[in-house]
Amino acid sequence: MRTQQTLGEVLASRGVSRRGFMKFCASTASLMALPPAMIPRIAAALENAKRPSVIWLPFQECTGCTESITRSHAPTLEGLIFDTISLDYQHTIMAAAGARAEEARHEAMKANFGEYILAVDGSIPMKDKAFSCIAGESNYDIFIEAVKGAKAIVAIGTCAAFGGIPMAKPNPTGAASVQDVLNEAGLQKPIINISGCPPIPTAITGVLAQYLTFGELPELDHLGRPKAFFGQNIHDRCYRRPFYERGEFAESFDDEGAKKGWCLYKLGCKGPVTYNACATIKWNNGAGFPIEGGHGCLGCAEPGFWDWGGFYRPLSQGDWGDWKTLGIAAAAGAALGIASVAVSRVKQARARQEKS
Amino acid sequence: MTLLEFARGPGLQGALLIFSLGVAWRLVGTFLLARNRDLAQPKGTSTVKAGVRAMIIRSIPPHELEKRITFQHITGYAWHLGFFAVLLFFGPHVPFFKQFLGFGWPYLPNTAVMVLGAFTLAILVALLVRRMLHPVLKQISTFDDYLSVVLVILPLLTGFLSYSHVQPLDVRYEVLLAVHLLSVEALLVWFPFGKLMHLFYAFPSRYQVGAAMQRKGVQA
Amino acid sequence: MSASRANDALQAIGLRVEGSPRVAGAAFTGNVLPLLHEVRHALERLLATGEETTIDLASLPLAPGEFDRIEAALGQGEVTATLNALGPSEIRETRYSGVWLVTHRNATDEVMGRYIEIARMPAVLLAQEPDMRKGLADLALALEGRVD
Repeated sequence: MRTQQTLGEVLASRGVSRRGFMKFCASTASLMALPPAMIPRIAAALENAKRPSVIWLPFQECTGCTESITRSHAPTLEGLIFDTISLDYQHTIMAAAGARAEEARHEAMKANFGEYILAVDGSIPMKDKAFSCIAGESNYDIFIEAVKGAKAIVAIGTCAAFGGIPMAKPNPTGAASVQDVLNEAGLQKPIINISGCPPIPTAITGVLAQYLTFGELPELDHLGRPKAFFGQNIHDRCYRRPFYERGEFAESFDDEGAKKGWCLYKLGCKGPVTYNACATIKWNNGAGFPIEGGHGCLGCAEPGFWDWGGFYRPLSQGDWGDWKTLGIAAAAGAALGIASVAVSRVKQARARQEKS
Repeated sequence: MTLLEFARGPGLQGALLIFSLGVAWRLVGTFLLARNRDLAQPKGTSTVKAGVRAMIIRSIPPHELEKRITFQHITGYAWHLGFFAVLLFFGPHVPFFKQFLGFGWPYLPNTAVMVLGAFTLAILVALLVRRMLHPVLKQISTFDDYLSVVLVILPLLTGFLSYSHVQPLDVRYEVLLAVHLLSVEALLVWFPFGKLMHLFYAFPSRYQVGAAMQRKGVQA
Repeated sequence: MSASRANDALQAIGLRVEGSPRVAGAAFTGNVLPLLHEVRHALERLLATGEETTIDLASLPLAPGEFDRIEAALGQGEVTATLNALGPSEIRETRYSGVWLVTHRNATDEVMGRYIEIARMPAVLLAQEPDMRKGLADLALALEGRVD
């Protein structure tokens, strides 16, 4: 399970030439959104990088994050990254199942105590911990036990990072993010949040690659997300920005503006308040991203996006209430007005009397 | 709750409630006040026509005063027109009104709006400075005067910042947008309690004067 | 339903492409010219000081169709090389000598990276020392086997 082989040795043993390795490093630099000038440094670091043990715990999730990462660039790059990390437990894709799988997890945790990376996807239900269990153990218990020996936690996907869709009002399961659970338990561990619903696959592998290369966690923003992927907002990198600048907006799906590829602000695009790499790295190997497909950004990498009032409600609109409530307020105001008129009229009458 | 979630949610609701309540209170409280009955014989008829005429004619200052107030007259109209052009005819603002009214309308290209907005903001700031330095104005200006103009300047200023996504001091867009929405909400909250109510009072007041004068047989 | 009948049914769904946004978008988003200017400056530097430059095209927010315009603008030069390592890669000299378009693909032909390299020759084409040493060892072994 644990191996001392370096990545360089792994590649050489698979017959990968130096040229192949250089190609791999170039792709990795691209993945980590690093400038090409860094490629030699990456090459030097990867050659000598040791294989860290990674334990992946799936909690209250839809498995989309696992799908995303396995759907990404294909076997070659992912395979290499996953061969270089020692993915000791991932119950969707690992071969073992049932008690054997759980045994594998416990052994890996014991053997690599203090050194393994704990990857988590899905939120953790706190209202009743029994809402989500694996093999009879609650997610919460599994998590708390695993945290103890972890070097760092990678919260994969918006559910693990911020609570996610399970947290949408009224949050029936009491879904909590990894950070929330740690706070509640009074524990401290370095956390990297790779949010997104699901995250861009290269964001996941890029962070792992970064860890392999530099042996340290990447620079994080105020929400704990790696700046390399979450440092820019969608609006600033969107190719439709010139249409926004000129005021050319699609008014409805399939109207003239939409067909011409105009800005989707009025159709509820949350690009201006969302930070992710969708506009540059894109999805499906650069095929496109939601806005390019004609649908506004949902804001899926941000906390609370599920309760922002609707995917089609533009940012310039809000939850203003309704005319009935405003009518009641106006009626109350009118009543106040009548009361103040009554007072004023008394004063006016008195003034008139005094004058005469 | 983030600042933006507040501004697009409870902040907006609260501001609109206060605005509705406050405006209703002031309008009812003013229009129902007792007025002295005019006991004289009416010397003119068609008071309604005169009232309507006064609403229009009094938008132009009498020619005797014009020379002394040209600056105020022109800049006043300029910034009011610019302000409403930006408020009503900027693309992203139309959905804001559509959520209340259920319908939208065509809008101006962004460049036009930006230019109008810039002029409006410049004039407002100039007028504020003038108010603070002019020997007479600074004596007679009240808290209401200053607060009202600041609350009109802020949405324009924060609007520019959030539209252009300018990043002064590395402020994130969602904060700039939230501040813009909050500045509008602040304007709505103060609105019923100060001179901004002239939006509702100005024309009825002119009508009143025109009709009353017509009854007296005098052209207002 | 058989596969061919299913396919026919799919084809029967009338798809009509109306005014491709690929064309409209590319005209207005303007990444092509600045990029070509950057290439020009890099080429000037290469000639003046020998400094090489690599531009990662994945780092730019290209509108649909913009990459095609860039490719068309750069054109085809005298050299095209194919590299087979962890999947195919194409290293093509553009019509401007010293400016190369490098496309890395993985074993299932998906694009892993696209670069514009301004250099005498992209580094990945040069023979690498570890590979040469291995080659030398293999050649020596092969020759020893043939000595009689």
